Amino acid sequence: MMDERKLQILQDSLLPLLQAGLAYTLPLALLSFVLGLLLAVATALVRISSWYIPQQIARFYVWVIRGTPLLVQLFIIFYGLPAAGVVLDPFIAALIGFTLSVGAYSSEIVRAAILSIPKGQWEAAYSLGMTRSQALRRIVLPQAARVSVPPLSNSFISLIKDTSLAAGITYVEMFRTAQQITAVTYEPLLLYSEAAAVYLLFCSVLSVLQHLLERRFDRYSAA
Amino acid sequence: MIEVRDLHKSFGPLAVLKGINLSLAHGKVLVIIGPSGSGKTTLLRCLNLLEIPDTGSLGIGGQRVEFAAGGGVPAKAVRALRLKTGMVFQSFHLFPHMTALQNVMEGPVTVQKRSRTEAALLGRELLGKVGLAGKEDAYPHQLSGGQQQRVAIARAMATSPEVLLFDEPTSALDPELVGEVLKVIRQLAAEGMTMVIVTHEMKFAADVADQLVLMDGGVILEQGPPEQVFDHSAHPRVRQFLNRLGGEE
Ligand SMILES: Nc1ncnc2c1ncn2[C@@H]1O[C@H](COP(=O)(O)OP(=O)(O)OP(=O)(O)O)[C@@H](O)[C@H]1O
Ligand SMILES: [Mg+2]
Repeated sequence: MMDERKLQILQDSLLPLLQAGLAYTLPLALLSFVLGLLLAVATALVRISSWYIPQQIARFYVWVIRGTPLLVQLFIIFYGLPAAGVVLDPFIAALIGFTLSVGAYSSEIVRAAILSIPKGQWEAAYSLGMTRSQALRRIVLPQAARVSVPPLSNSFISLIKDTSLAAGITYVEMFRTAQQITAVTYEPLLLYSEAAAVYLLFCSVLSVLQHLLERRFDRYSAA
Repeated sequence: MIEVRDLHKSFGPLAVLKGINLSLAHGKVLVIIGPSGSGKTTLLRCLNLLEIPDTGSLGIGGQRVEFAAGGGVPAKAVRALRLKTGMVFQSFHLFPHMTALQNVMEGPVTVQKRSRTEAALLGRELLGKVGLAGKEDAYPHQLSGGQQQRVAIARAMATSPEVLLFDEPTSALDPELVGEVLKVIRQLAAEGMTMVIVTHEMKFAADVADQLVLMDGGVILEQGPPEQVFDHSAHPRVRQFLNRLGGEE
């Protein structure tokens, strides 16, 4: 069933796939996750504030991003914007697309986490004379961070897989690398399965890291 | 020290405080008793502006705030007044992500911008005072309820407030842990700490109070030295409340 030629192809393509994963897929995912989280926290803070206009802008942003397909968003940014005079490098286009997406989805996670912190924690902070921003920074956000670790880790794992959509806008990450090798070897089943296996490997390592991170946070919460 | 004049507070259509007048001298202990729903917690929360009264005025340690319907209170004035008070809650509200010592240091470091070294020194001293030397590095969930409440008392004292406010500090505790918390409060009273305490512990109230206030339906029915309120009040509602308490014991 598995002849020598196929084994050779598998072997030869493993290194390029791993390289593309480590040098292109992971950096794109990591960078857009970090930037997306900053955007998410800012969006969540605006949404729990009493600032009317910024609040409406934040709601509109979350509504649009969550209600439209990510691939379509990427196409608009990369293929559409040039028509408006904005030409972006594939990496930058992908980075913007994924950051906006992480920002919108994670803002809901962060917002829910902040709202889940009991009112008594705010009151204890206020009773010490803290301002709202001190109470947020010192008391509420650190506890909200603990609550958000599991759902945010899941978002990050999803993001690793979603970066394959960037192949659609010519960014040569792992999936596009698999496509390129397929184009010369004519072995789609082999190559795409191999790429899937590498994604699986990445996500499994991340699950273990997630577990360790949760354990670290468990120091202060019973069970 | 504390001067409350004609304080009113409503939640929507529900009038909870209907003209409260109080004054308390430096170093004295005021104990508030009264049936459930009479407005004790609301009054205490008004004293450090966790609730903003509708009308009336409040003065604590030379800091005065006047309340008027529709007029807000500047955030700065609110914080200035809160720094004069320390609050101990019924269910502790310790910060779960911080150790006992970090809980006590939080006010001095974050609010008063004191150095960490200085705050740690003060924190250790206060934890020692409430009988928790050696528990500095424990997280709240590793402590019993009585220990948590004593950390909360140390935390409230750390910013050197002029008045400590207690809202039923032992109600959430198992009966065998009540004593250790009351002991700390008694000790503070003996040292001349100014305190306002809401409690259902009548014997403790009679012992520790310089002034006893009996609330009912958002007004003060009776106030004075505990002997006077307990033994000589002629007010029928007072007799009724005290009799009911007596019957429970
Ligand atoms: N935030 C709020 N919103 C609406 N109603 C409130 C609020 N806080 C208190 N109340 C109402 O005000 C009344 C007085 O409440 P408060 O908590 O001050 O009573 P209390 O004397 O402390 O009672 P207890 O002995 O049960 O603690 C109650 O009827 C309560 O339901
Ligand atoms: Mg109460």
